[in-house]
Amino acid sequence: MIWSHFLLAAGISTGTWVLAVFLPKRVLIRNILVLAGIASIAIFIAYLWFSLERPPLRTLGETRLWYAFFLPIIGFLTYWRWRYNWMLYYSLGLSLLFLFINYLHPENFSKTLMPALQSPWFVPHVVVYIFAYAFLAASSLVAVRGLYQEYKSDLQPKVMLMADNLVYLGFAFLTLGLLFGALWAKEAWGHYWTWDPKETWAFITWLGYLVYIHRRFHMPAKFKSSLWILALAFVILLICWFGVNYLPSAQFSVHTYSQQP
Amino acid sequence: MNKNTKALWQSPWGYSESFLLSFGFLFIGFALEYTSGTSSFGAIVFPYNLIFGGIYILQIVLVYFFIRNTATFKFLSGIPASIGAIVALSVLVVIMGVTSQVPMQEKGFVNNFGLNRITSSIPFLLINFYLLFILAMVVIRRLFPLKWSNWGFICSHLGLWITVFAAGIGSGDLQRLRMDLIENRIEGRAYDAKGNYFELPLAIKLNDFKIEEFRPKLAVVDNTTGTLYEASKPSLIMIEDGLRCKLHDWKIELEEFYVTSGRAGDRYYPIVDLGAAPAAKVKLVTPAKDTITGWISCGSFNRPHESLKIDDRFSLLMTVPEPKRFSSEVSIFTPDGRKQEQTLEVNKSFTVNGWKIYQLSYDEKMGIYSSKSIVEMVKDPWQVYVYIGVFMMMIGAVYMFWRGNKVKNEETINVVSD
Ligand code: HEM
Repeated sequence: MIWSHFLLAAGISTGTWVLAVFLPKRVLIRNILVLAGIASIAIFIAYLWFSLERPPLRTLGETRLWYAFFLPIIGFLTYWRWRYNWMLYYSLGLSLLFLFINYLHPENFSKTLMPALQSPWFVPHVVVYIFAYAFLAASSLVAVRGLYQEYKSDLQPKVMLMADNLVYLGFAFLTLGLLFGALWAKEAWGHYWTWDPKETWAFITWLGYLVYIHRRFHMPAKFKSSLWILALAFVILLICWFGVNYLPSAQFSVHTYSQQP
Repeated sequence: MNKNTKALWQSPWGYSESFLLSFGFLFIGFALEYTSGTSSFGAIVFPYNLIFGGIYILQIVLVYFFIRNTATFKFLSGIPASIGAIVALSVLVVIMGVTSQVPMQEKGFVNNFGLNRITSSIPFLLINFYLLFILAMVVIRRLFPLKWSNWGFICSHLGLWITVFAAGIGSGDLQRLRMDLIENRIEGRAYDAKGNYFELPLAIKLNDFKIEEFRPKLAVVDNTTGTLYEASKPSLIMIEDGLRCKLHDWKIELEEFYVTSGRAGDRYYPIVDLGAAPAAKVKLVTPAKDTITGWISCGSFNRPHESLKIDDRFSLLMTVPEPKRFSSEVSIFTPDGRKQEQTLEVNKSFTVNGWKIYQLSYDEKMGIYSSKSIVEMVKDPWQVYVYIGVFMMMIGAVYMFWRGNKVKNEETINVVSD
């Protein structure tokens, strides 16, 4: 029962969103299609909640369902406010990816999620980070373009405006991600912040973009130094994202989730 | 470009002076850390932290009143000073991020400068006070005169200040104790990390400890080293009814499985008994089409485990199941004579008389037969203030998302690319 309903809901979302991508010219129709896809997931979650008689937040599959729900919502909000079409499509794509993983692993609806991660904070914490990373990664692409233009002595102010806006949005999400993480840790374990390596690097990343924002505010007419700060901040972000597990400091991280046999 | 012609420390100060100042603090901090040895300071507790915090705020107010019309104030509340302080903090946090922060015995470079315990080192403390001071100056400058258009700025900056300040001076008042609950016994004492016992203004009786486990998993280990064989992924496969799977090069079929069972003669039978362990009968087919059939069990605290030898090098075994959820049904008694029934679960804490009670652990050796539940009790009187700061920062972040960067667009656009 649950499985066939899942297929139905995921099918509706996939169908509406694929249509939405192919109809980008008719904005109103496209937006309605996007919202219909979101609604279909929402209805399935409500149904799941009802039939399991508990919040569906316990297994990996259920958690992914929430990602698939929240990602397009935030993507749509961002689009609505900032008209970034790519952000909307990016979020729809990620959401479909999560639905697809659930489709490939039906057993995940009943699989392991360590008790510590079974929290309503888990999803907002991660979803907000996904957005922060997307914006900040996009801002660094812009920075690379800017540095290239600078190298050619043809730096356009437009590039800086784009980078600034992406960093502001990304930084807002990054801040929320850090704060959600801290609140979750406090509610679940009694401390806000333990300087676990992942947390430490997330904080360094945050500081890097903080420097960029303030430098830009102070010296709006000086592009070059700001662009380098932005490029460096992205390197830190990559360390935080991928590299942390390989650092000597990461031996005892809770964020690696490696499980002993 | 008149900046390069200005002598150092000549007004107005800029980035050079800012970096000299903040890295000067770093340097002094490390020097103090080196000379004071490893006698790391403890956190200050009530009422001293309150007094200290009061003096710190008073100092900020006084400094503001005396220098508010000077160029020094402009500098201290400006971005160059801010960036210097943030970068100095970043240096410390990067050190923390690349070295492992664990206590060490031997004396040496790392230990002498406190590099393996940055958060309780003097340079970290010093830089935090400096940063907090600068941030206070920044906030005060935008606060007077009060303007509505500054609300987003005030939320993020004042919120950050309140969060760091409250979390910092409140850390000494945080009490974190553990309590071991045994089924049907009333416990009123809890112990700290050093093993000192404290009498609490409440008592807890554990009525029932409940635990659910996931199914155990199948794995292959190396006979000689005893380590998990991980030639291909997944190297651990969870047992399910009627499971047929491929683990590395072997095909495995689950013929029988019992969540609780005991061995009698040449096989396992399902039983309900203290210590009854999961067991499975499996059929394994090797690449050479040999079939091996046998029983495996992960055992329990009072039953042996049993694995299936595949060949000289490898054995198939069953892992100890992981906990899915565990919870404690408790009655909580308070001095006012009240009795409250509660269920404590991971991520679902309960607050009584200022103490927050968390489900922490249980007797892991006993697994599902544990009749002991370990809970953590945390008292943190400063939490509300930290939360006020955190929520202000959240509002600031939402504001930032909504407004985006409209700050200096004019000036940016007017730059003619050189
Ligand atoms: C939560 C973290 C922070 C955020 C989100 C943030 C954001 C911002 C933004 C967006 C501005 C532009 C001004 C405006 O919007 O009106 C700004 C200005 C400024 N920030 Fe921050 N900031 C943060 C932390 C800090 C810290 C830690 C410092 C220094 C210790 C600092 C010092 C300043 C200063 C000096 C200005 C310029 C104010 C002025 O010239 O009027 N900020 N900040």
